[in-house]
Amino acid sequence: MSIFQREREIITRNEFVDNFDFIEIEEFIKSADKNLFISHHFKYSNKMLVQPRGGFPTYEKVFKLYEEFLQAGVDVLPLTIDSNTRLNDYATAGKMLALSEEDDVDMLNGYPLINHGYRTTRKMMTHFNKPVSLRHGTPDARLLVEMALASGIFEIEGGPITYLLPYSKNFPLDKAFLYWKYVEKLCALYSTYNEPINRESFGPLSATLQPPVIVIVIQLIEMLLSLEEGVKSFSVSFSQSGSMIQDIVTANVLMKMAHRYATEFGYGDADIHLVYHQWMGAFPYNKEYSDALITASTVIASMVKADKIITKTRNEAFGIPTKEANARAVASVQYTLKTLKGLPVVKDEEEEEHLETMVKDIMEAVFNDSADTLWRKVFNSIKNGIIEIPFSPHIINANEVITARDPDGNIRIYERGKLPISDRCFEYEKSQIKIEKGSSVVEKIIKDIGIML
Amino acid sequence: MRVVTGVVGNDVHVVANRLIEISLKERGFDVYNLGVNTYLEEFLDALIETDAELLLISSLNGEAEGWCRNLKALKSKYNFRSNPLFVIGGNLGVGEMDPDALIPKFKAYGFDLVYHQKDLNESLDEVEEVLKQRIEV
Repeated sequence: MSIFQREREIITRNEFVDNFDFIEIEEFIKSADKNLFISHHFKYSNKMLVQPRGGFPTYEKVFKLYEEFLQAGVDVLPLTIDSNTRLNDYATAGKMLALSEEDDVDMLNGYPLINHGYRTTRKMMTHFNKPVSLRHGTPDARLLVEMALASGIFEIEGGPITYLLPYSKNFPLDKAFLYWKYVEKLCALYSTYNEPINRESFGPLSATLQPPVIVIVIQLIEMLLSLEEGVKSFSVSFSQSGSMIQDIVTANVLMKMAHRYATEFGYGDADIHLVYHQWMGAFPYNKEYSDALITASTVIASMVKADKIITKTRNEAFGIPTKEANARAVASVQYTLKTLKGLPVVKDEEEEEHLETMVKDIMEAVFNDSADTLWRKVFNSIKNGIIEIPFSPHIINANEVITARDPDGNIRIYERGKLPISDRCFEYEKSQIKIEKGSSVVEKIIKDIGIML
Repeated sequence: MRVVTGVVGNDVHVVANRLIEISLKERGFDVYNLGVNTYLEEFLDALIETDAELLLISSLNGEAEGWCRNLKALKSKYNFRSNPLFVIGGNLGVGEMDPDALIPKFKAYGFDLVYHQKDLNESLDEVEEVLKQRIEV
């Protein structure tokens, strides 16, 4: 028995798991309907796939949510996991699930997949026969991903950096890399049974004034870490920045460099997709304004040629949306997409070149680290501040980079911290930011964060 | 001038925390930012370690109330060399609370200055003024 298989047996055997049957699961995936695989839809669909967010504690509520989504014309269903499960606290998740089932009150902010188990969950997935995307935020997602794949959920979001630095203060980053290595290996193994399992990175990061260069570098790194374990289908992603041209530039550079690095590292056979997140910052309290923002964001997703869009709802400012509001957003985004024909091709070659130069500078610095493996090089780079995420709560994050918007809404670098970008690039970035006389940087940043309010 | 800052309790409002850090640095403070999810004991330990003249706790969702109740008792166990100024600010109430009752309540917990839903820059101006007076005395 391989070391990996031995690890799997340990991970899947505990008091919360009811007899994990590897052979039966392999048979299930081998004979699973192609419609369950988003990688299959990416290959054959000629439209942008629309996916909302959502998850409830009980089976019945998720079932009803999916029915509502189907009526609205959804392409990809979400399964959002509750925060206790994300922290591997299955005991609390179980207690809260029992309370939710008894009293019909939601005591969890998502679906506790471990407690429901794969036999139950699979019934729902095969019933709807749509691709499902696992949304979580878990640094140690080994058991969760075993359970998801066994349930027929064939897209797994996240990664060691993007699911840790924006969410956690002190979960050890090196452990996160090793736990995610397990996830990649598992997705790679299962990809050999049928259509490939799709992995997706979480590009929005802390969703607060994230400079495109950092988003792209982290997307490329998580892609390479995944492909090097054998994953064959990968989605890079980012979220609406607040400037249409900056989103177009980001998308072009991201896709170009993703293909280039994948080929350079010998993974040219992998499929790479682009996912666009509608505005991830603070939403207005006015629901009509929220509708307008969602529509504008759908237009931008079309301009950047996203393969999939992840939607928001008009209830965003108020908390978890009702299933009706959520489905309504899906229908409205589908309608907007239908109206968008004959879009112009827009390009800004100078900005693309500038962004590409900065990305290369940072990637080179990461590759030049003296460690022997890619994940260790990346770990050292984060520890040294060569990579950092503005507004991350994690103790390892350098917290030196400061960003602000230029008059066109583009996010620019005001302080570069230890980012290894050239003086020329940095001076260009900084010179674009105009701060009014008598106004402080912090006042400017507060304004720049809240542009959609 | 040294300052220890951070967000008390199980609270991950990192954006405000980072903006406070940037503001304090702009004003010339040496900032020891303990970040989000920080316990009261950690703040007091940091004051001992750094000999900071100012402790600035922030809180955004009403977490502060539960976590700061024991401040007085806890303070008496420490021997501060720097006689630090204890300041708390942010959105200190839970839900619909009487804002006028909050300030005396937090002062009774052992804070010298309390800012509830006040502008960051104006509050920091005032904090600096009080610190200056303390040094002159």
